[in-house]
Amino acid sequence: MALPSTDRGAAANVAGPAKRHPVEFTADAGEYFRIWIVNLALTIVTLGIYSAWAKVRKRRYFFGHTRIDGESFEYRANPVAILKGRLIAVAAIAVFYAVGYFAPLYQWILWIPLAVFGPWLLVRSLGFNAYNTAYRNVRFRFEGTYKACLKVVLVYGWLVFTGILYPYFKHRLIRFVAENHRYGTTRFEIADFKKPFIGAYANAFGLGIVLAVVVFGLGTAMVQGKAANLFFGMAMLFYGGLFLLFAYIRARTTNAIWNAVRIGPLSFESSLRARDLIWLYFSNLLAIAFTLGLATPWAAVRAMRYRASKTTAIASGPLDGFAQGEAQKVSVAGEEVAELFDIDIAL
Amino acid sequence: MIEFEAVYYDGRTSARKPVRVRGYALAIQILGEGLRLDVPLAKVRVDPPVGGTRRALHLPDGAQLQSDDHRAVEALFPRAHPLEGWVHRLERRWLYALAAIALVAGFTWWSIVDGLPLAAKIAAGFVPVTWEAKLGEQTLSFFEGKLCRPSALGAARQQALQQRFARLTAGLADGYAYRLLPRACRGIGANAFALPGGAVVITDALVKLARNDDQLSAVLAHEIGHVRHRHGLRMALQAAGLAALAAALFGDATSITSLATTLPTALLQSGYSRELEAEADDYAFQRLREIGLSPKAFAEIMLLLEKDHKRRSGGETKDYFSTHPATAKRIQRALAAP
Repeated sequence: MALPSTDRGAAANVAGPAKRHPVEFTADAGEYFRIWIVNLALTIVTLGIYSAWAKVRKRRYFFGHTRIDGESFEYRANPVAILKGRLIAVAAIAVFYAVGYFAPLYQWILWIPLAVFGPWLLVRSLGFNAYNTAYRNVRFRFEGTYKACLKVVLVYGWLVFTGILYPYFKHRLIRFVAENHRYGTTRFEIADFKKPFIGAYANAFGLGIVLAVVVFGLGTAMVQGKAANLFFGMAMLFYGGLFLLFAYIRARTTNAIWNAVRIGPLSFESSLRARDLIWLYFSNLLAIAFTLGLATPWAAVRAMRYRASKTTAIASGPLDGFAQGEAQKVSVAGEEVAELFDIDIAL
Repeated sequence: MIEFEAVYYDGRTSARKPVRVRGYALAIQILGEGLRLDVPLAKVRVDPPVGGTRRALHLPDGAQLQSDDHRAVEALFPRAHPLEGWVHRLERRWLYALAAIALVAGFTWWSIVDGLPLAAKIAAGFVPVTWEAKLGEQTLSFFEGKLCRPSALGAARQQALQQRFARLTAGLADGYAYRLLPRACRGIGANAFALPGGAVVITDALVKLARNDDQLSAVLAHEIGHVRHRHGLRMALQAAGLAALAAALFGDATSITSLATTLPTALLQSGYSRELEAEADDYAFQRLREIGLSPKAFAEIMLLLEKDHKRRSGGETKDYFSTHPATAKRIQRALAAP
């Protein structure tokens, strides 16, 4: 197979008008299925030990098939390090739950260590993932400190409890995450994305109220019917509504963030559509349910392909000038614990 | 000699340079515009192959070659990654993928049928009775007030039931706080169920269905059997294990946080398995004998419940019968109980 050879070489890379590079995702669902199922079987046979290698192989497959300007991403994590991180993570989770049950405390008490420990996990996890991601042999990095992250959480974190101001906190957190990423030595910049970001939540909130009224109306109508149906019907409508809002928020906030990000001469265009995502998630869910999980890899490839097809990198200058940063020390424990706790702030 | 096309990165910037690479027995030679580099093979680290993704060769000082010529890279580094090379070969064939499907399916089936119940039984041994009681309370609060209201039976009738229950639980000394909760519940018909920790709920409909109070004692003895054998806890642990298994097998990220919420509701989702019902039955027969009642009462109430269930079938109520199927076998066992 020949390498993609558009504008290769110094001569073609002279700064000119902005060049559009659609993000490509070239994975093949069948090939990924084989990788997925073989690695799953090996994980079972080795009683979970192989899971670290499985994770790295699956990620390397996805990264390797994600391309911008013909060049692919690389995932460089060491499986042995990930295995150590997983062992630490499992121990940490066991302690977390044992303490939670042993001590006669209520669940909210567990929020306090999470508020202190969460930012640490987040910073470590982002650091590990960024440093192990490379494009054109230049590593990404995350230089946000625990102190800075804790500050964001302490200053704005309480907004979570107001419910309605939560999006503002989320937006501050994402800004913190974005601004502290580097591609080599080049900083990520993020323009003000408050308006479209919070606007997405506001619209979803309005839609949510409409849905709630409908659900409540239908619910009371059903009280006249059978009680058992009422439970089921209300739950279905409730989760269905949440699902729609989730997809809407996902589409709009992702667009808001990526349209504001700049990395040196690179900017991005993200145009996810809520109705596409609703269909994508819904059909994926059905496919996974009806194949007893076997469609999982197909669903993952499909979701990533959609995401890539709606994202374009716009280069206002050559992509040759990014300089490599210095070597960094990163630890994997944070990433693995964060994964188990579902702590994830994706850009 | 092996020769292939590649892209060279010098390790300092993202600038790419198309090159030709020549591979010899002990070294590679990299040739490009204004570049001529010899690197000993021992200093080159190659990434393990994954699907058809581009191969990366890491050179000293952070430099790198990337190439799509898999055959050439394999020929240059035939034994670089014995383990992952082998995995890579497995991943390329549908035959091995089918074998892997069979293995995963077999393991999943075994886990659900045998593995998880066994694991739950063992794990339950480590759970103190106080935690179990907490789980029961959480479950109880889920339907108290919403689905069930206090019983509408007369005080004397309730008193009689409590006395029967007290006789069944007298002297058990197993650490459980047994208490009978007569309730009027919507949508579950003639029913009785046990919660972890010792609460036993009996519905007014069931009390009215029974022809005599020995039959009620039989049902209550069965429910006490569920408590003593910790069936509620075991089912909850089993459901949590199933969720963890599903997340580990089919989720790309495992989220254990959601398990905490599944525990209390897991009890409501399904009845007990056949094995657990038989275990509770055996306990009931033995206990009825101990206090001088006949296990035949159990057979009688099962027949009544079956008739009641058939009479209403077509309706959508979830009654005792639908969660405790009165197979002919169970009735026979009761009649044949020593």
